[in-house]
Amino acid sequence: MHKLFYPKLAANNIKKNYKTYIPYFITCVITISMYYIMNSLSKNNGIESLVGDASIQFMMLLGCRVIAIFAVIFLFYTNSFLMKRRKKEFGLFNILGMEKKHLTRVIFYETLYIAAGSLVTGILFGVVLDKIMYLAIMKFMGIEVPLGFYIAWESMLAAAELFAVIFLLLFLYSLFQIRLSKPIELLKGGNVGEKEPKAKWFIALLGVVCLAIGYYIAVTTKNPIAAILLFFVAVILVIIGTYLLFTAGSIVMLKLLRKNKSYYYKANHFVSVSGMIYRMKQNAAGLASICILSTMVLVMISSTSSMMIGLDSIMETRSPNDIAMYYRFDDSYEQGTADSQQVRRQVERALAERGATPVNTISYTYLAFSAAQQDDYFNTDLAWVDSGLEDVSNLFFVTLDEYNRFTGENQTLTDNEILVAGNRKAFGYDQLKVFDKNYIIKEQLEEFPGNGVMASDVAKSYFVVVNDTDEIMNLYQLQKEAYADNASTIQSCYGFDLDADDDTQIEIYKDLFNQLAETQFNVMIESRADIRASLMAVYGGLFFLGIFLGVLFVMATVLIIYYKQITEGYEDKERFEIMQKVGMSHDEVKRSIRSQILTVFFLPLMMAGIHIIFAFPIIREILAVLSLTDVKLYITCTIGCFAVFSVLYVLIYILTAKAYYRIVKR
Amino acid sequence: MSILEVKGLKKIYTTRLGGNQIQALSSVSFSVEQGEYVAIMGESGSGKTTLLNILAALDKPTGGEVILDGNSIWKVKEKEISAFRRDNLGFVFQDFNLLDTFSIQDNIFLPLVLAGKEYSEMRDRLMPIAKKLKITDILNKYPYEVSGGQKQRTAVARALITRPKLVLADEPTGALDSKATEGLLKVFNEINEDGQTILMVTHSARAASHAARVMFIKDGEVYHQLYRGESTNKDMYRKISDTLTLLATGGEKDA
Repeated sequence: MHKLFYPKLAANNIKKNYKTYIPYFITCVITISMYYIMNSLSKNNGIESLVGDASIQFMMLLGCRVIAIFAVIFLFYTNSFLMKRRKKEFGLFNILGMEKKHLTRVIFYETLYIAAGSLVTGILFGVVLDKIMYLAIMKFMGIEVPLGFYIAWESMLAAAELFAVIFLLLFLYSLFQIRLSKPIELLKGGNVGEKEPKAKWFIALLGVVCLAIGYYIAVTTKNPIAAILLFFVAVILVIIGTYLLFTAGSIVMLKLLRKNKSYYYKANHFVSVSGMIYRMKQNAAGLASICILSTMVLVMISSTSSMMIGLDSIMETRSPNDIAMYYRFDDSYEQGTADSQQVRRQVERALAERGATPVNTISYTYLAFSAAQQDDYFNTDLAWVDSGLEDVSNLFFVTLDEYNRFTGENQTLTDNEILVAGNRKAFGYDQLKVFDKNYIIKEQLEEFPGNGVMASDVAKSYFVVVNDTDEIMNLYQLQKEAYADNASTIQSCYGFDLDADDDTQIEIYKDLFNQLAETQFNVMIESRADIRASLMAVYGGLFFLGIFLGVLFVMATVLIIYYKQITEGYEDKERFEIMQKVGMSHDEVKRSIRSQILTVFFLPLMMAGIHIIFAFPIIREILAVLSLTDVKLYITCTIGCFAVFSVLYVLIYILTAKAYYRIVKR
Repeated sequence: MSILEVKGLKKIYTTRLGGNQIQALSSVSFSVEQGEYVAIMGESGSGKTTLLNILAALDKPTGGEVILDGNSIWKVKEKEISAFRRDNLGFVFQDFNLLDTFSIQDNIFLPLVLAGKEYSEMRDRLMPIAKKLKITDILNKYPYEVSGGQKQRTAVARALITRPKLVLADEPTGALDSKATEGLLKVFNEINEDGQTILMVTHSARAASHAARVMFIKDGEVYHQLYRGESTNKDMYRKISDTLTLLATGGEKDA
């Protein structure tokens, strides 16, 4: 036999099956190029040195892992689909006299072509897109970069290695499938009589319960720290619930519909309901995956985009001042006050030397520590505070003098009286108990003009105004006893704005930072511009990751849907013909099939919408932790993302439905 | 009274490439009386299937006329043709054409559901038919769970439940073993005795030997007809075999 027989046959096979191979090839290419891009971005030193933050790289590395895992699962999925479709073909080869070792050769060449082709194309795309992505990220973060071409050889090698292994595994898996089966089985392929699925009441119920608990957690969790932990529990429950509901719940429901004789025996219901029972059996898992992927994409993109957009308002809460300093007191209030004044003067001198004038200055002295809140009592027992993440609140004490000076008001208090304000919600009690003290609340304040460090804290904070310094020192001593090594110090905050652009501000900040580091004072300094840049790096990284994985998931969705449509097209073709013979008109058949496809197609999107609505409360809490409290912005972003996604989804539908009708039409 | 009248039916196919014309039916004329059991025989390519497709209103003739119960079926509007087929004709196919997505009962109900009948009426109609065809036990099973004979009896039930004027059977025994074939042919005889008109296309002499009349088609024409008269199935079978031999060896008509 001619030496080139098998390579040629393999090439021909791919050509002949182009309808299923082209999407598969494109998937391989996109996955490979995505992996290359992520990998190269995670190793690109440019980003780290320019942004000055490694967190974005860490996220890219994480994204890289996600893509790798995803690639394995997804390519296996599509490959098994391909093999299933082609079993008949292999069966024919087998019967025509090809031994399994010959089939092995054919499959080997086919895999080799796809692997080599997609690796080369994928990496080529990757190299081009990589540069564009890199520029986009930099542009996004407001950093100018010189144009230049950059090829990450290391990443190329990583991509080649990973995907070579994946393709090898795919090859072995295909062989395994072929070797296991007898020719007659191969010929029959997927045509083995499908049994009607059983209605699994228990599993359907379990799905409902999982989903209900997941939703309940999402809706009721109010504590942000607990929210982050519970979020994962809720996500897992919802994922399990979705799978169970799609696989078992749908069939239970359809069977209930079928039991209702007067509903079921109507021309349009009759065909649709019975058809759906079969469709759901084959598609449930795929549909559930689409639903979950869609939900993930939507949540990720809408939350990261709202953080990006809301960054400035976040900064407003996080750091009300351009530059803020926190001086830590020792045991003496007077000494501390004097020292902090000295620091302040030094800073002012340094600023004057640079020709910068501080404006909108604020300064106040406070004591802050955390405690486990139990109604109006704040428990300072370490065991409680450490264990019960649940209700940890920060208490933030200032003296009346400071408060009056700060606000220009003229409040008076007795030793036992306090004023209270909360950062997340009002303190709704008449008294506030901490240690052995039992304060009477004279007034609930609307707000306390913020303190950046406190505002950005994850937990609830209460701002408490006490009568005088003695009271603060007293509390200081008490918490020092209670918390020992973990005790807080009294701090003096000094904040001001600068009339300068971000770069100058960061420069001044670094200058001040270095100067203060040389003094003996225990002082911390932060710059809004600096924090903004690093937040931008984190959010920007998350946003890009969101978009990236979003694209990947959307691609997966498209492919799953496309393959489903094609498989079903071939199966429906027969049904379609029989029904016409029995007396169903062409239009009737078409209408019934369309309604089935529409249901199957849009069920995941609908479910994703419901998931997102229920996820809203918990995501709001989590975003609040990240200082984003603009609920409206988040809603707008979510609706926007959902709308864009839906349009995309409908487009996919139209495209794949066309392929489907082409198959069914006779 | 004849329920079906076929006059000068002609069908010419044009091949897709090259425009060659192939004559499937040159001129077929015959009539079927109410309550008659007619078998049409012929070799592959003789035009049997084309004839059946035209009778079933699935295909249009090039010329000629098909009159079912006084109505010319090609005058029925395109939109109503499905309903017309459903109400007037019952079909039994070689490969059963049952839908795996429906239970046996629902497969039988399918044409009635499409016609918009009430469930209670469907049930009333089903019971006597199911009893006669001995499929009462399997009504709740699915096509993939029953034997070929049972499948074909289900298909017969589906054809009968609309109370059609004419049952068209296309090689109904083609996919059955000899025992199931015998059973099905008995069923056909029984329903024919109840007054159901049946037109069966087959190339099995054994199947045809159960009919009251056998028509032979060759080269797109009715070539010969055999009437049962008083002869037994065995005699009939012999006569059919003789005719088939003649047809195959190309002997002269009635020679």
